[in-house]
Amino acid sequence: MIIRKFVWLLSLGAVLVGIAAQPVLASTAPPPVDAFYMYGSTLAGLESGAGTDGCVYATNQPDNQPDIMLVDFGAARLLSGGDDGTIDFSGTTFKNASILLALERAADGYHNCHVKGGVIIEYGNSNYRMSSAGMSTTDAWYAGYDQEQTAEDLAHYQAAHGYMSQGAGAASDMEPSYDKQLITKQLVNGATAQGWAIYDDYGSVDGCPTTGSSDGSCNNGWSVGAVAYVSFHGIALPLPEIYYTVSADQWTVIRKYWDANGPGGYYFFDGVTGESPATAGGLDATAGWNALNSRNSGLVGPNLVCFGSGC
Amino acid sequence: MRKNALSPRTVKLLAALVVLGLAGALSALAAAGSSPVSTPRLGGNVNVPADKAAAMADRMPSAPIDATAPAGPAATAAFAPDPIPAGILGSNVPVPISSSILTETNGWLVSNGYNLVAVYAGSAGDDPTQGRVVIVRQDLRAGRQTVQIVDAGTTGPLTIAADAPTGAAVETTALTGALKLGTSRGAPMKLNLSTNTVSAR
Repeated sequence: MIIRKFVWLLSLGAVLVGIAAQPVLASTAPPPVDAFYMYGSTLAGLESGAGTDGCVYATNQPDNQPDIMLVDFGAARLLSGGDDGTIDFSGTTFKNASILLALERAADGYHNCHVKGGVIIEYGNSNYRMSSAGMSTTDAWYAGYDQEQTAEDLAHYQAAHGYMSQGAGAASDMEPSYDKQLITKQLVNGATAQGWAIYDDYGSVDGCPTTGSSDGSCNNGWSVGAVAYVSFHGIALPLPEIYYTVSADQWTVIRKYWDANGPGGYYFFDGVTGESPATAGGLDATAGWNALNSRNSGLVGPNLVCFGSGC
Repeated sequence: MRKNALSPRTVKLLAALVVLGLAGALSALAAAGSSPVSTPRLGGNVNVPADKAAAMADRMPSAPIDATAPAGPAATAAFAPDPIPAGILGSNVPVPISSSILTETNGWLVSNGYNLVAVYAGSAGDDPTQGRVVIVRQDLRAGRQTVQIVDAGTTGPLTIAADAPTGAAVETTALTGALKLGTSRGAPMKLNLSTNTVSAR
């Protein structure tokens, strides 16, 4: 009973602190924070890299907000023996049980080097060539479900170790060019069925329309409606890649389409995924956030996840 | 183990209830008769569906300070070098570069355990006539990562040649070596990894 009262008070205090700490309106771009591609060819290497990344992230954290630390483990895969996991960017497969160990090292690293603010450590994967790797739509559903379960398991680890400044979530780089829309939707459906925490879509809108609010076509048989689904159905939220001005235009079409046709609730963005420095003719991370926010005022959250040397 | 303590999910659901209650109360105070549930992380014109509100609360930290003090960087587990022999990546291996930036033809990777270089060749995401390579570098001990884009002009899609450096013997030398690139238009080219430049070979 005493524990329950304490938890209530703790939760209330944390929420009040959180509300006080958050901007009422996200009218200016938040500072970008590092995101990480994982290239471990052994479990020891994967864990070591994640631990270093967690410490570096904490050391460099630019503000007092709870920022997203996106750890990208590669493409979702069904592994031999029926385990879900990923194939990382080195071509090595890891079960979710191994990925959890790496995420726990990231949590340890963040704790050891924590200076200010908080962190939401997100287990990132992608829809890259799931079909050609032999995955069915059912397999993709379980991949999303187990990914969310892994994030929840990380949250249990954080809580058990008193890492109060940390939270856990999941994310997926869902891109039309990577695989078909039907199997990609199943990642979101599985994640939503598990339901632990927000499932950020840090993907792209390849070939989608740049104006209007209708259900036009995108690359690889996708449509505006399909992108809207994977980015806002259930517990999904868009954290879109904005590397060019046209990307901000395309994501605005997605938002308008959902608002006109989607079931329940108006579309908003969890933030932006960017790259600094910018590619030729493109936008750096801060300019990307500003471009999206200028087209969707007040609807872009204060998260700016960034890949590159200028973050 | 957790019989006498509430799970993180329960704690965060309780927090979600508090958020919803507070947001509702604030909304009622701000606009009598209107009852949108607002998330504190976004503008006041955002209506967050209940399932998303709970999922947003679930992922949030519960306090700004950990139960125990940070032990410092030295407490982080010792760095474990993880060398990766040089080689062309298989077509099943994911590419970290967005398809809006690069339409990939193939990739190549090497790491000596301390530094890693991955090269992805192809064409610009929005223009298949423009040859492009993207170089990802990681300083694994320092946790630093860079992404560099090198454009080759109107060469068409670039391809890393099959005789690219391979094996464990070149794990260090290949980090700053050269890669031959095939083109669909014009003469073969070369990527110099010590200068991040593409030139004719």
